[in-house]
Amino acid sequence: MKILALLTIFVLIFGTTIFVNDAYAQNDLSILLHIATQADKQIQNQLYQVYGDEVPEKIQSLYAKGHTTVNSLEKSLLDNVKQTKKDFLTSMKLFKQISKMIPESVTETKVILSNTSYSNLSSQFDRLEKYVLTLKTISKKLDAKIDFEDVDNLLIKTHNQINDGAENTSETIIQLKSLIKSIQKDIRDSTSHGESDRVKQFVKKQLDVIESKLIEATESGTDQNQIDKAYELIDDIRDLISKNQINDAKMVFHELYKLLKNI
Amino acid sequence: MNPEIEQIHGKEFPGEDGMLFVRTDGIIDTMIRIPLLVASLIIVAAIIPIQPSFSSPRNLDLIIYPDGTTHVSSEIDVDPLDIDYEFELFGSTIDNFVAISENGFLLNYDILGNSVLIETFGSSVITIEYDIHDLVSKQSRVWTFYLDAPSDFTLLFPKNSAIIGMTNLPLDMQLIDDQNQLTLSGGETEIDYLFSSPIVSVPVEPINSSPESNYFIYAIIGGIIVSAIVATIIRRKPRTTKLTQKQQIIQVEPIDIETIFKLKPDIREDDKEIVKFISKNGGEALESELRKKFLQPRTTMWRAVKRLERNGIIEIEKKDLQNLVKLRKNMEGEE
Repeated sequence: MKILALLTIFVLIFGTTIFVNDAYAQNDLSILLHIATQADKQIQNQLYQVYGDEVPEKIQSLYAKGHTTVNSLEKSLLDNVKQTKKDFLTSMKLFKQISKMIPESVTETKVILSNTSYSNLSSQFDRLEKYVLTLKTISKKLDAKIDFEDVDNLLIKTHNQINDGAENTSETIIQLKSLIKSIQKDIRDSTSHGESDRVKQFVKKQLDVIESKLIEATESGTDQNQIDKAYELIDDIRDLISKNQINDAKMVFHELYKLLKNI
Repeated sequence: MNPEIEQIHGKEFPGEDGMLFVRTDGIIDTMIRIPLLVASLIIVAAIIPIQPSFSSPRNLDLIIYPDGTTHVSSEIDVDPLDIDYEFELFGSTIDNFVAISENGFLLNYDILGNSVLIETFGSSVITIEYDIHDLVSKQSRVWTFYLDAPSDFTLLFPKNSAIIGMTNLPLDMQLIDDQNQLTLSGGETEIDYLFSSPIVSVPVEPINSSPESNYFIYAIIGGIIVSAIVATIIRRKPRTTKLTQKQQIIQVEPIDIETIFKLKPDIREDDKEIVKFISKNGGEALESELRKKFLQPRTTMWRAVKRLERNGIIEIEKKDLQNLVKLRKNMEGEE
């Protein structure tokens, strides 16, 4: 029995780990070949563009290794999974090393937010457009009846300005951001009734549970002052909910939660 | 009315000469039960990590924009009895944050540094979306994405970008509007990419390591060419006149498979069936289609296709990460 128990533990620990590890990257190893081949071509292209026919010996040698590894990856694809994975990681490491050796005047930079280049403005625009799309989806789902016409027009205007390379594009993007913020507020206002109902239902349900727990706490001899304080807060919350002061009720509920942690 | 209770199991039999006997009744039950128990435990252990738990993302999708900003979208299971939920963000420079309950309500939140406190009030699933500027950095021309992900995730790269370095193996890859989307496993991941310029045909061949190996390769290539020419001459000699006619036939579309079989009498019967199918299919078929048609495993079909390629009957092209197998229009080039 002891041996069986030990075997079970062993299988549980190692067996399942093996299943999990082996499951990944097995879907289609040709993906690895595709990525490595793309990287190979790209590096070869970059080298040609920067150095022409006069690639420095060190880089040349690294590239040769990388290229050979990709060939090895292709060969091992069908019958040697372990070798395929190893070749993939080796080739990608070599290509990364080469790419960092290819000179460019630009030194290390973080993503610059204030950059007004075409790429940056275009990316900012793409993100805002996606954000508007998210708000439209929320509005539609909640039947919030929000007018998106202004923001749509501003999106078109911004898009055109980016394509034309207009100087005042950044200002339009600021306007767009401001308009999106107000739309978000409109959605909140428009759905506040439904949101309040949701919070009310949750709070009422939770208060019932809390009250029954307070009875148990009283019976088990918990500090009566704390319990009295909790009952006061419950009364306050019920009062605020009846007056539809949901935000205030939420705040008191937070206070009650903190108090209950100590009881 | 006092029936004598007879013990069924565990009856003691006195051993002869003090010999010790091991009780064996019920051993079959035990033998069956234990493997069953072991198997059940293994299944349970394998399933447990898959089941989502509170605070673990159901899904995590990331999109990298051309300026390196990343859009994060995640669906998270939260405790419906909690009033709020604190969530670790992937950085502190956040834009366009939005938290939505399963009913579609916008949830209140408060971002403090790298974490956000969301008022859930009974929600069991929340969706979080935001843009973050901390995940991608740029050195020289290389962009580097780094993330320590809490779960498996998808990552969509910008258009015209090419991956040139990876520390992990991808689980999957797809092309979405000419953009690469990788599925990656949780944990630390670092991926380097750069914006590719159109691939120019590079005249320089990949570098060979030494002059000696050059001579060796030239010798091999020369040998192959010479033997191919000799073999062609030997095979063509007895039927020169017939081939001249066949050459003309082969160059005409559609390809006559009977001609192919006459020219290649030694190809296998199962390979002939593949050729027939490709011919009926308009002269081309995806390797996956061939696998489905002939119910062959991937490797078997791959070998068959390679055989036909070596015989000069078909050529293989890449199409959307798949092998497109095409009947050659001019087989004589290979003869």
